[in-house]
Amino acid sequence: MTVNTTGPGSRFKAVIGGHMATLGRAIMGLCLAGSMALVPVGSVMAQDFPGRGIEFVAGYGPGGGHDTLLRSMAKVIQSEGISDAAINVVNKPGGSSSVAMGYLNSHRGDAHYLMAATSSFITTPLMSNIGLDYSDFTPIARLGIDPELLVVNASGPYQSLEDIANAEKTLNVGGTGTGSIEQIVAVQLGEAMGKTFNYIPFQGDGNVTSALLSGQVDFVITNPGPVKDFIASKRFAALGISTGERVDLFPDVPTFKENNYDIELSLFRGVVAAGDINEEGKDYLVSMVKKLSQSPEWKTSYMEPNSVVPDFLGPEDFENYLEKMNGVYKKSLTDLGIIKQ
Amino acid sequence: MLDTLASLGGGFSDILNPQNLLLIFVAGLIGTVVGALPGLGPSAGIALMMPLTFGMSQTAGLCLLTGVYLGTMYGGRITAILINTPGDAPAIITALEGYPLMRQGRGGLALGVSALSSFIGGTIGLAVLVFFAPVVAEYAIFLGPSEYFLLMVIGLSTIVLLAGDNIFKAVIATLFGVLVSTFGSDYISGYVRFGFTPELIEGIDFVAIIIGLYGLGEVFFNLEKRIVLNLGRPEFRFSDYFPDRGSLKTSFWPVMRGGVLGTSVGILPGAGATVATFLSYALERKLSRRPEKFGDGAIEGLAGPESSNNAGVPGSLIPLITLGIPGSGGTAIMLGALIMFGMQPGPLLMIQSGDVVWAMIAGLIVGNVFLLASNVLLIPVFINALRLIQNHLSSIVLGLCVVGAFSLNYDIFNIWIVLVFGAVGYLMKKNDYPTGPFILAVVLAPLTENYFRQTIMQAQGSWDVFVTRPVSLGLLIFLVLIVAASIAKKVVAKRRGDTTP
Repeated sequence: MTVNTTGPGSRFKAVIGGHMATLGRAIMGLCLAGSMALVPVGSVMAQDFPGRGIEFVAGYGPGGGHDTLLRSMAKVIQSEGISDAAINVVNKPGGSSSVAMGYLNSHRGDAHYLMAATSSFITTPLMSNIGLDYSDFTPIARLGIDPELLVVNASGPYQSLEDIANAEKTLNVGGTGTGSIEQIVAVQLGEAMGKTFNYIPFQGDGNVTSALLSGQVDFVITNPGPVKDFIASKRFAALGISTGERVDLFPDVPTFKENNYDIELSLFRGVVAAGDINEEGKDYLVSMVKKLSQSPEWKTSYMEPNSVVPDFLGPEDFENYLEKMNGVYKKSLTDLGIIKQ
Repeated sequence: MLDTLASLGGGFSDILNPQNLLLIFVAGLIGTVVGALPGLGPSAGIALMMPLTFGMSQTAGLCLLTGVYLGTMYGGRITAILINTPGDAPAIITALEGYPLMRQGRGGLALGVSALSSFIGGTIGLAVLVFFAPVVAEYAIFLGPSEYFLLMVIGLSTIVLLAGDNIFKAVIATLFGVLVSTFGSDYISGYVRFGFTPELIEGIDFVAIIIGLYGLGEVFFNLEKRIVLNLGRPEFRFSDYFPDRGSLKTSFWPVMRGGVLGTSVGILPGAGATVATFLSYALERKLSRRPEKFGDGAIEGLAGPESSNNAGVPGSLIPLITLGIPGSGGTAIMLGALIMFGMQPGPLLMIQSGDVVWAMIAGLIVGNVFLLASNVLLIPVFINALRLIQNHLSSIVLGLCVVGAFSLNYDIFNIWIVLVFGAVGYLMKKNDYPTGPFILAVVLAPLTENYFRQTIMQAQGSWDVFVTRPVSLGLLIFLVLIVAASIAKKVVAKRRGDTTP
């Protein structure tokens, strides 16, 4: 935990000044002492991995995406007998998963920890000063992707990508948050169509769905999960998907590429381990996750209910993918003015 | 209507067996205890119970989880009244009026009135859930950022009522609240404000602020004053804890108004429940014949907001059940639970798994009755437990605050936040700065800001939306009227003051 302990302290002082600075420094000091005490003196790796239980680290609280992924993994790994190691899911919420990243980094070299990694694994380091990034960790596998759909209200005036490209007014687009993959897709689509969209960030999928239901936005860019029932009940219509090929979940929805808009960008769901782990531990984790992803139970209990498109990548491919995604996010976030060079 | 009753009857026949009834009862008790601990709320309660439901049938599992959810809503008021430590934003008013009653030796009455108000508010909310869920859901989604913005402004306008005597101090407290609320990442611009340490990227945890401000602040203040709670002599007679005819009469209409306000405003996602409690408080104070009693243990000021708080619970389930849209932290966890039970929350839920949903609603109705009974019967236990620990109360409250802060994120960072706001709370109380405006600003300022920006972005720069959307216009007129009325009142009062030397 060498997370800029001097930096924040001095800035704290600059803002609050005077008496509070002493208190601030005392608090920082105590925090530091506390966290040092928690770091193990030396981790001894047992000969046969795993020497003890494996800890699954979720960067968000119970009920969040990371938590659901890891708890489902733990359940299937145990019920299918993929590993007999005891698995314990631990929530380390806070700081858009930076707390969990700091926690995992404090166990550098120890393969008994596996952390869920989604887009925040790339964007949080880019947008803040936590002093860590994706390259500090060992990629294990990408389990699947969450494609982005372009969805309209079925009773609205725009019923095809062509309608949207030919719209006369500036269209309102809804998505979750700023600098999110939804916004990046909206911006790329606008560029490909030669149009500017008015992107409106909402907090959470629920608000995006509400906004489209009541016609406050003209279309939304979203993951399948929150809208698939609305599509099935014909209140919404999906006009395009951001994958390379059509997906089984929505066989009738054309890809953006089919319409000559060169956009292939999805959210990923993967797992990473701490940095500098030995080969034995890494091989064990990789084979465990790979067996998991091939089990039918995993498909029916996690992938299908959560509308995740299976697209497994092993450690090397996942590493290259993360590097590519880091580049995409860095460029887009810089273009959007969210991060400075 | 008949269909609805038949479906509800089906739901009851699913759950009315000894095993499920026992499950709901136990779940309610567990929920009450979890909710009573500062820092642990519905999210933590449901998450803790989730593993237990794995071997159960869908109906039994959902009964357990909704029982815990409802129980935490009852439990939140207990610590607010007994030790001035509200566990969530809607319980702040409960602490504001309930704790003074406690110090006057009428804690049992406060607990009784609030339990009964919670029950009635919850029942009103459940009735709306049963009969009007689909209609209400469509109305709720029709409201956009412009309506939400105006609603938040109306909520903020109640600051004047919470301000106390010195308006200048109230303004300072409000602005300090706005400052505190700006910490963390702003999802509209994408910037992180004041992110000195990684833990601050998501902002300062609101629950840590109220635990510090009220719980720890009160401990610090009492250490100096050596206040001894007036707990009266040991009493075990039931009649002392059940509200007498007089208090029932005083609280009847506030509870009814609170219930209606809670279901209509509390349903709205986000800060709906909080705004509803503050509005109910403001309303009761305006209507009261003795407004000067407010802040010093007014029964109607306790009953109305408590009723509107619990009316919002079934209300927040409406968008979840009918549209699959969670409106609060607790319902977000329920959404996860529904998925884990193999159901598909969304517009098709009632068609695909209607029987399970009706069983869950029946479970809520039964749970509400059980919770009223157990909460009233438990009052002597709470009061006498407090009597036993009275001499060590400060240390125990301190311990609860620290454990509560730790349990928010399972790390020590929030303990420091609680400590800092404990000092802030102590200083504010010592120097007569009102905490109400501060806390209201912390909750509502970021929402107001973001809804405003969304409104203008959505209208692509135009301000017309506030008057062209009918509901917005209505809210705007209402806002102008209450401001004009309060100014007119001041002017009239001043003229009278001038003429009579």
